[in-house]
Amino acid sequence: MLEPMVQNLVYGILVGALYGLAAVGLSLVFGVTKFLNVSHGEFLMFGGYASFWLFALWRVDPFLSLPLAIVFLLVIGAVFYKLLFGRMVKLAEGAKIQNTLLVGFGLSLILQNMALRLWTADTRSITTFYSGAVWTILGVRLPIVRVASMGIALVVIVALQLFLRRTYTGKALRATVENWEAATLMGIDIQRVYLLSFVMGAALAGVAGALVSVGYSIDPTMGMSWTLKSLVVMVLGGLGSITGTFIGGLVLGVTESATGYFLSLTYKEVVGLVLFLLVLIFRPQGLFGTKEG
Amino acid sequence: MSGKQIIFIALVIAILAFLPVVIKKDNIINLAVYVLLFVSLASSWNILGGYTGQTNLGHAAFFGLGTLATRFLWMAGWPLFPSLLAGGFLAVALALLIGIPAFRLRGVYFAIGTLALSQILYITIGNTLPMISSLPAQDLAVYQLAPRYYLFLGVALLTIGTAYVLVNSRLGLGIMAVREEEDAAESLGVSALKHKLLALSASAFFAGLTGGAFAFYHVGYYPQLTFGPEWTFDSMMMAYIGGTGTIVGPIIGAVFFVILRELLVLKLAELHLIVFGVLFILVVLFLPGGIVGIWAKILKVLARRSKLKGARVSP
Amino acid sequence: MLKIDKIDAYYGDLQALWGISLQVNEGELVALVGPNGAGKTTTLRIITGLLKPASGNIHFHSHHLDKTAAHKIVELGISQVPEGGSVFTGMSVLENLELGAFVAKARKVKDQSLKWVYEIFPRLEERKNQRAGTLSGGERQMLAIGRALMSKPRLLLLDEPSFGLAPILVEQMFEMIAEINRQGVTVLLVEQNVRAALELAQRAYVVENGRIVGQGTGDALLSFESVRSAYLG
Repeated sequence: MLEPMVQNLVYGILVGALYGLAAVGLSLVFGVTKFLNVSHGEFLMFGGYASFWLFALWRVDPFLSLPLAIVFLLVIGAVFYKLLFGRMVKLAEGAKIQNTLLVGFGLSLILQNMALRLWTADTRSITTFYSGAVWTILGVRLPIVRVASMGIALVVIVALQLFLRRTYTGKALRATVENWEAATLMGIDIQRVYLLSFVMGAALAGVAGALVSVGYSIDPTMGMSWTLKSLVVMVLGGLGSITGTFIGGLVLGVTESATGYFLSLTYKEVVGLVLFLLVLIFRPQGLFGTKEG
Repeated sequence: MSGKQIIFIALVIAILAFLPVVIKKDNIINLAVYVLLFVSLASSWNILGGYTGQTNLGHAAFFGLGTLATRFLWMAGWPLFPSLLAGGFLAVALALLIGIPAFRLRGVYFAIGTLALSQILYITIGNTLPMISSLPAQDLAVYQLAPRYYLFLGVALLTIGTAYVLVNSRLGLGIMAVREEEDAAESLGVSALKHKLLALSASAFFAGLTGGAFAFYHVGYYPQLTFGPEWTFDSMMMAYIGGTGTIVGPIIGAVFFVILRELLVLKLAELHLIVFGVLFILVVLFLPGGIVGIWAKILKVLARRSKLKGARVSP
Repeated sequence: MLKIDKIDAYYGDLQALWGISLQVNEGELVALVGPNGAGKTTTLRIITGLLKPASGNIHFHSHHLDKTAAHKIVELGISQVPEGGSVFTGMSVLENLELGAFVAKARKVKDQSLKWVYEIFPRLEERKNQRAGTLSGGERQMLAIGRALMSKPRLLLLDEPSFGLAPILVEQMFEMIAEINRQGVTVLLVEQNVRAALELAQRAYVVENGRIVGQGTGDALLSFESVRSAYLG
């Protein structure tokens, strides 16, 4: 009786780690630049496809190709920032938020349809020789690929935390989040900080996408769903807290799993969105967040 | 409005009214139906999105509810017009229900909140009503396209007409004041919430009516279809490309969109969406007035040139 | 070293400064006084590049400040302590100070600078690992000034350092500012506390409604009739 529930919990945690990773990317960009990149999910999707094609065409192991996926997304992120988002950073607050939302949304539409045209609507997944391997501990199945993915997500997040806490650039980023004018007075080039955080956010999405492609599956339309999930987690975990956001990801993963188990699979997708609306209305600073948004 | 403009509009309406009489080809009428449908959807989106500046990413929820209610009631035996009105009012009910909490959300959260809401409906309807909704055989036998066309024409005219009246009324001034500078408007006694709710309700009502017309028009479709986010996104892009905050903008955008889609449909699929997406981004970044804005600028330049040449210019 | 020449500045369509001209020479402590909203903070923002002037120019040694990007101004040797201090509350005292030494040449001598700042503000060393948000108002001001000093500025701009401080702290604050000036840092002090500023400064400018309405040595202005009646009551 307990076993299927524990199994369910485990699956929720495993996927939740990826939700958390994706959300951290979105949260990083939002915290620094104050704009919401709604094409975040499409960056994730492209990361997944990068990993997929590297495997399908040249048999590159998806875990080994992660650095390539990162580089790919860093480049894409830089390109789109320079082309599009970078033009809007000087706008007044209200216009900046509105226009970046719209542009991000337009971009997501373009990217989604490009992917549809390039790679068809077929769902893809990477299957390696070890894809079916499972650890079984106390009767609970732990698919190795998913456990490894969670491990990588944790490593990436810890690395990010170290970067933000220990390096000068990381501290400059944190300073910009708090008070960009004061940061400018320290000699910090805000434009470069914005660019850096944007490409880092894209890279984080790319890693998440690559991990999704091997542990789960990808398709060109997955973008919006993942953007929404990242948003949900971001709001759940509260802005300004990477650990909180990651835990928020786990919470979402577990909640979805539990809903699928106790209610029905059909409402799995909906519970996150409902949670999102509830948090927005009743607790806008999230479950862990600090007051400053 | 000047006399010339009124004559022009009357002419257009007359042409549209006589279209099914003159042209007997179904595929052209269907195309016209879609143009009118998007004109209504884009215009109704624009009432909130263009005039109040609140980006509603959940417009499809109203469209979908209208379709749902009308189809259900009409197929249960209700006459058409009450079914349509029911669809519209159901949409308004939702608008009022979510409006108050939604408008408390600042900045970007209103947009994604409405998106989340309409996605919840989309997924839920998809799960609870997975079966296709088909017109029974006896209705199929007497199906006529012309009434459907006229219904869409009527809804489009009603939407545009109401938008026009609303915008040019005191309420409209209040709405735009709220868009420009909400706090300032509040301090002048303009209740931001009331005006936003009004705009939202009007927007919802006409989206709901359009949905009802869709329910009358389509022979068979999945109920989930009209809740799909693409209806919102397409409407929004049309309004922006045509020119938000104008009456004519969404109309131009809708016509442009449907024609573009027709032209490109023979090429690879969904190319029109990529083109539209690019145009949309260009408008947001560089051409905030959309096509209407560009046209106005062109007219200004021409007027200046004429003045320089010493010729008399009539506005 | 700093020469501001007929600056006009606007916030949107609103003109804030009319033909402001002032000068700060090496080693001086110059005060910029005036009532609330007179344009003192605006003038500082013009110097540090957070606001660009509509006309006029600013020279720092030979550099055109009005043509320099805001974040490059620190590299030139100008450091500002904004109004209210603006410390990074989520970060520790030490991290705040380290950020003060962000620019490359300051980073190299970071440890020496830290020692210097700790000498002037021993309290900061005591609290170095505390989150800046937990400091008292006076300590935050100290931190803000210390942070500005970490970039080894040649010119230090102070915007209302005494704001919100208890009177005894205000005295201490000005004593520290005088000490900093004695150690060789040129200071441009913006203050609402006119008497203290004029007592401290060698020279001062009086700003009202976006215009310079008076200038002179600190003592001269202190005795000047209209200044006395307007500000010293």
